[in-house]
Order: sequence, then C-alpha cells, then structure tokens
Amino acid sequence: MNTIAIVLVIGLVLFTIGLSILSRRFTRTTADFYLAGRKVGSFSNASAISGDYLSAASFLGVAAAVYASGLDGVWYAAGFAGGFMVVVLFIASALRRFGEYTVADFAFGRFGTDRIRLVTVVGVLLTSMFYMAPQMYGAGTTWSILVGRGFLGMSAYNTGVVVVAAVMMFYVAMGGMKGTTLNQVFQFWWLNFATILLVVFIFGSGFSYPQALADASADTLVNAKTVTVADLTADDGAMLAKAEGAMTAEGFANVEAAIAAGDETAKVDVVLPQVNKLHELRDMVFVEPGHRYNKLDQFSMVLALVLGTAGLPHILNRYYTNPSGSAARRSTFWVLILIGMFYIMAPIIGLAGRELIANAVADGSAPTAANYVDGLLVTASQIMPMMGQIIGGQWLLGIVSAGAFAAMFSTIGGLLIASASAVGHDVYEKYINPNATEKQRVFFAKSAVIVFAFVALGIGLGIPASGLNTAYPAIIAMMVTWAFAFGAGTFVPMLLTGIWWKGTTEKGAIAGMIVGGGGSLLIILLNILKTLGVLTAGGLLGFLGDMTYPTVFTFPAALLTIIVISKMDGQLPKNVDHIWMRIHGTAHERYEREHGLDKVGGMFGGAPKGASK
Amino acid sequence: MAAQAEAAAQATGGETYIQHGSHIDTIESVDMVFRAQRKLSFTYGAIFFAVTLAIPALSGVWEAWYAEPIWGGFTANYLFVSLLYYVFLWTMAWTYSKKADKLDEDLMYMAEEIEAKFRAEHADELDEEV
Repeated sequence: MNTIAIVLVIGLVLFTIGLSILSRRFTRTTADFYLAGRKVGSFSNASAISGDYLSAASFLGVAAAVYASGLDGVWYAAGFAGGFMVVVLFIASALRRFGEYTVADFAFGRFGTDRIRLVTVVGVLLTSMFYMAPQMYGAGTTWSILVGRGFLGMSAYNTGVVVVAAVMMFYVAMGGMKGTTLNQVFQFWWLNFATILLVVFIFGSGFSYPQALADASADTLVNAKTVTVADLTADDGAMLAKAEGAMTAEGFANVEAAIAAGDETAKVDVVLPQVNKLHELRDMVFVEPGHRYNKLDQFSMVLALVLGTAGLPHILNRYYTNPSGSAARRSTFWVLILIGMFYIMAPIIGLAGRELIANAVADGSAPTAANYVDGLLVTASQIMPMMGQIIGGQWLLGIVSAGAFAAMFSTIGGLLIASASAVGHDVYEKYINPNATEKQRVFFAKSAVIVFAFVALGIGLGIPASGLNTAYPAIIAMMVTWAFAFGAGTFVPMLLTGIWWKGTTEKGAIAGMIVGGGGSLLIILLNILKTLGVLTAGGLLGFLGDMTYPTVFTFPAALLTIIVISKMDGQLPKNVDHIWMRIHGTAHERYEREHGLDKVGGMFGGAPKGASK
Repeated sequence: MAAQAEAAAQATGGETYIQHGSHIDTIESVDMVFRAQRKLSFTYGAIFFAVTLAIPALSGVWEAWYAEPIWGGFTANYLFVSLLYYVFLWTMAWTYSKKADKLDEDLMYMAEEIEAKFRAEHADELDEEV
C-alpha cells in the first residue's frame, strides 16, 4: 500500500466533496442543476469540457495504447483531439443558439415529436453506459495498483469500483452541474499537472524523443500476453514457437516450467512478436502503422474518433452552458489547445515506457504492484502509475494516481449529469410529471444520479466476469472508442442534417438514428464475440466481426437513410421556418448583447459582469 | 430562452419572423446568415477531412511517408500524427473562430438592415418590446 498516494487521493476526494457542498447553495433550479445557470465563461468551460473529455481512456489508455501499439496507439490521441473540429465547425454554435438543455431537447425542438425525443433518450443512455464502462474499469484497476487490497471481503478491483461509484453518487447529486463544472476544472488541471510532471521527469532522465523512437523501432514490436498452457501449446505449438523466438532464455524457462507442470488451464505470461495488419509483408515496428488496424480499419478508426466526439451527449450538454454561440466557439478553441497539449505528452510517456520500464525491471527497481515478462508490462493500462513510481518515486506515483482518479471523477460526473438529464429533464419533466415544482424536479434529478451511479457500479463489477479485459490489449481505450462509434452513428448524422438541411424530416431522422445506432451496436457485438472466440463464422458475419470500428459503414448509412427517407416522407414540421430561425437566427444574440446578457456571470450566482440592470 | 423565442414567433402578412425584445429575425435574414455560415463551415470542414483522411490513405500506399525516418526515428507519418496534426487543428480552429466571429458581426449589421426594412413594411403589426 502506498501511503503518500492514498493520502493524495483522499485529499482529492475531500476537496471534490467540499466543492460540491459549496455549489449546493447555488443549485436551486433545474437550469442550475443541469446547466450551471448558462453562465460559464469560455476558458472555464474549456477547462471543464477538457476535464469531462479526458477520461480514464485518455489518462490511462492513450499512453497504454502507444506503449502496446506504437503509431496506431498515437492515433487515439490525434483522433480524440480532432473530434472537436467537427464540433466547432458544424455543431457548437448552432446548438447553443437553439438553446434548451439536452440533445433530446434539440431533437424534439427540431422535429417536433415525442417519438424522436424518446429515441434520442435511449441513445443518450446507451452512449453514456458505453462510456461509463471503461471509467469504472479504470477505477478498479487503479485502486488495485494504488492500494493493492480490498475491504469488507471484496477484491481490490471491486473495492475501487465501489468507492468511486459512492463518491460520484454523492458529489454529483450534491453539486449538480455547477459542482461538477467546478470539479471538472480542478480535476483537469490536476491530471494535466500530473502529466506535465511525468514528461518533465522523463526528459530530465536524458530521454531523447527522436532517439527513443529509433531505438523502439529497431526490432519487431513485441507485447506481453497472458495465455493458458492449452492455448500456448495448441496447433502443434505454433504460439509457443513464436514466444520462444521473441523471449529471453530466462523468460522462456518460466514458460517451459509452467508447461512441464502439466496443468492445461494454468495461465502463463509470454512475449509474442506482433503482426503488421496493414502491410502484411512488412515487419511490425513501433513507428509504423498496422499493429491494430488493417486498411479499412485505419479509415474507420479515424472516422469513429473524429466524428464520435460530436456524438457524446455529456460533451454536447456542456455547450448549452456557454453564454453565447460565439463563446461556444471560443470554448472549443481553448479545448483544442488544452487537450492538444495533453495528447502531445501522453504518447511520449507511452514511448518512454518501452525503455524505462525494461531498465527498471533489469535493475530490480520496478514496482512490484505490476506483472512483467521480459521487461514488458503484462497489463499496458498500468503504465501511467508505474512510470510515475519508476521515474519519480512514491510522490509522483501519488500525484499520477490522484490524476487518474481525477480523470475518472470528471468524466463520470459529466456522464451522470447527462444520464440524469435524459430521464429527469427529457422524460420526468415532459411526460411523467409535467406540473412538477422546481423542488420536485431537482429532487428527481438527484435521484436519477443515484440510480445511474448504481448502474455504473454494476457495469464496473461485471467487466472482469465478461473476459473483455483480457481479450483486448488496451481495453480502456477500446471501450471508449465503442462509445465514440455508437455516438458517431446515432447522433452525428441527425445533428448534422438537423442543423444544416432544412428538408430533414422526423421520420428520416429516426430512421437514420436506428440504422446508425443499431448498425454500430451489431458490429461492435460481432467484434466482441469474435474476439472472445464465440463467433467463428466466416462470410459477412465474419467480415463484420473483424471490424474494430463500424463507423466507416454506419455513418454514411445513417446519413443516406436520413436523406432518402426524408425525401420520400416530405413531412416537414409546420413551423419549420421558426425552427430554422431559432437555429441560425441572430436576433436573440443581438438582444442579449444589447442588454449585456451575453457576458459571463459568476459561477456562484450574481449578475453577469457588464449586464444592464 | 426557447420558450421566449417560440412565444415571440409570429406571422405577419404571410411572412414569419421571430422577435426578441426590439430585435427581429425574418426568414430572409436567417437564410442569408445560414448560407454564409454553411459556406464557411463546409469549406473548413472539407479541408479538415481532406487532411485527416489523407493520413491513413498515405499510410496505406506511400512507403516514404510511413517507413522512412526523417528525424531520428520519426517518420513523416509519426511526426505528423504525434505533433504537427495539433498545430494544424489549432490553426484551423483559431482562423475559423475569428472568421465566424467576423461573419457574425457582418451578418448582424446586414440582419439589422433587413430588420429595418421589415419593420418599415410592418410597422403597424409589430410589438414594441417582447
């Protein structure tokens, strides 16, 4: 157990709770609870969006993906950042001008039926749950490294999941969007501070980026993998022969000992040479593309990442907190600066890990909380805290571990708010109790937060039982990308056509969401089944099951569906001109500017600076 | 806010408009704003997607791009994805935001001109302040 790290994490939790209690005094209305009163300034909002966005997948997953996959892992960083260009170019300003609270509100306001609002709510909940899963898994794994033990009869992993769910339940229900925003700002800067420290320590140790890249690419890329003796010796020992060629004599002796013990179900850590999926005749080296993606997947992955951001409800909701459309654009520019800095640094840590972790294992200074084989981490997702301990000792491990929890807290907070607003604002206030008082609405929103925190808890506890964590090499980043792919297929075509094509009809939009969302779910499910070895069929199912990301098919299919069905349907809302004026009109902004209402107010209430009385 | 906009939406002499306080959007002014914004956003969008999708395209076909070191171990592909892509994004976002803000300013003045014309034509039917 690492005392310094635990003290820092407890300090983070207490500070988080303190901010939520402070915010509670200023969360009286649903606009306060869901939107922080719509008065969050560009830079504050950019910091909060960055905190919301930089989840466990980014903080723990990007460096891990680079460590395991080289260039194909770097794409996670570039793609996650690139997604905000789609937001700023096509969505941010229009969404803010349209007003409202949620993505489902936009769908209802634009197309005018309860049916599309409810379809959107289902999509929001599914996206949020997809995104929640890796955060909760990250919570369990980070707790395992940090504390290394469970409480109340639970495993260390389960304890981490329970603790994070409980903290989130408390602080989001208590502070609402204001508390969550303040916490996200703080959490973003903490995790950024931890990353900067790591990079400073790495360069301080004599690291040369170009040279390290050359060294890492000198030989075939190898990775550690945990397999059963039965799998290792199957097919006349094909995998065993590969492992023997890639491992040191000392490392392979442990493998031979495990085989000699005769237990076919015993698990053993091996090192295997990696295959180039893009250029099959070339060796797979760190600096080249092809470790994860074949030619089709290269495009599908890029599309999933750059389009998916615009389909994440918890990110889009934050745009409603801006005071104006122009402020929404400025926020996005600052987001790109802030997360860009982070995403430039994360791959450096992943690359440096190849050399520094191997050196630490060789000289016996590697932390004992992780497993290694031949100088490689068996679980790549542990790279951030392990690098913290190796290059900065207990203090840096503590700062990095607190950074990991900050990343999880900030994202889970945004997801809980998005989920609560989907059922609280979009269902309860509209259908179950339209005459609810403000007090009843806020109470329901807080209750919804608690319910979804329990759902998150269930998801987190269920992941290890599914076997997903051992089937994918960097499962945290992988699961987040599934959320991106689902959002890109479900929401982005509807938002793009809803904002930019007046001829979009309700039936077209719903059909597009079903085709995009349903298609994404189907392909992701087939990929999971194939990776777990459940699906062995060839043909079309096998082809789809081989696709890591569905976006290259689902996004154009959804777009085409919307266009074709809308053309066939032709039933535009009766007030389509009014709707169009709400999305693209400027009278409201001219009015707000005249009265000083476009200015940023205090996060704790009070009139906006410069507002006319 | 949305409720305010809807409440103020009216039709006058066959023309629809939205009124916020003393400010009015007509379908004519909004279409003008929409077309200008669409041109700007889709021009930048085309550049963004062309550059972004060119990277995996080059990774599939051009060996000098993905396999030949140009600085230490950096290939052009690795250098672009790990560093230069962000400079591209920052430049795009900055110039787009500036142009969009400028466009907003220009269009607001133009919208006000259209509004003045509309107000003169429908002076009897308009509210003074909503």
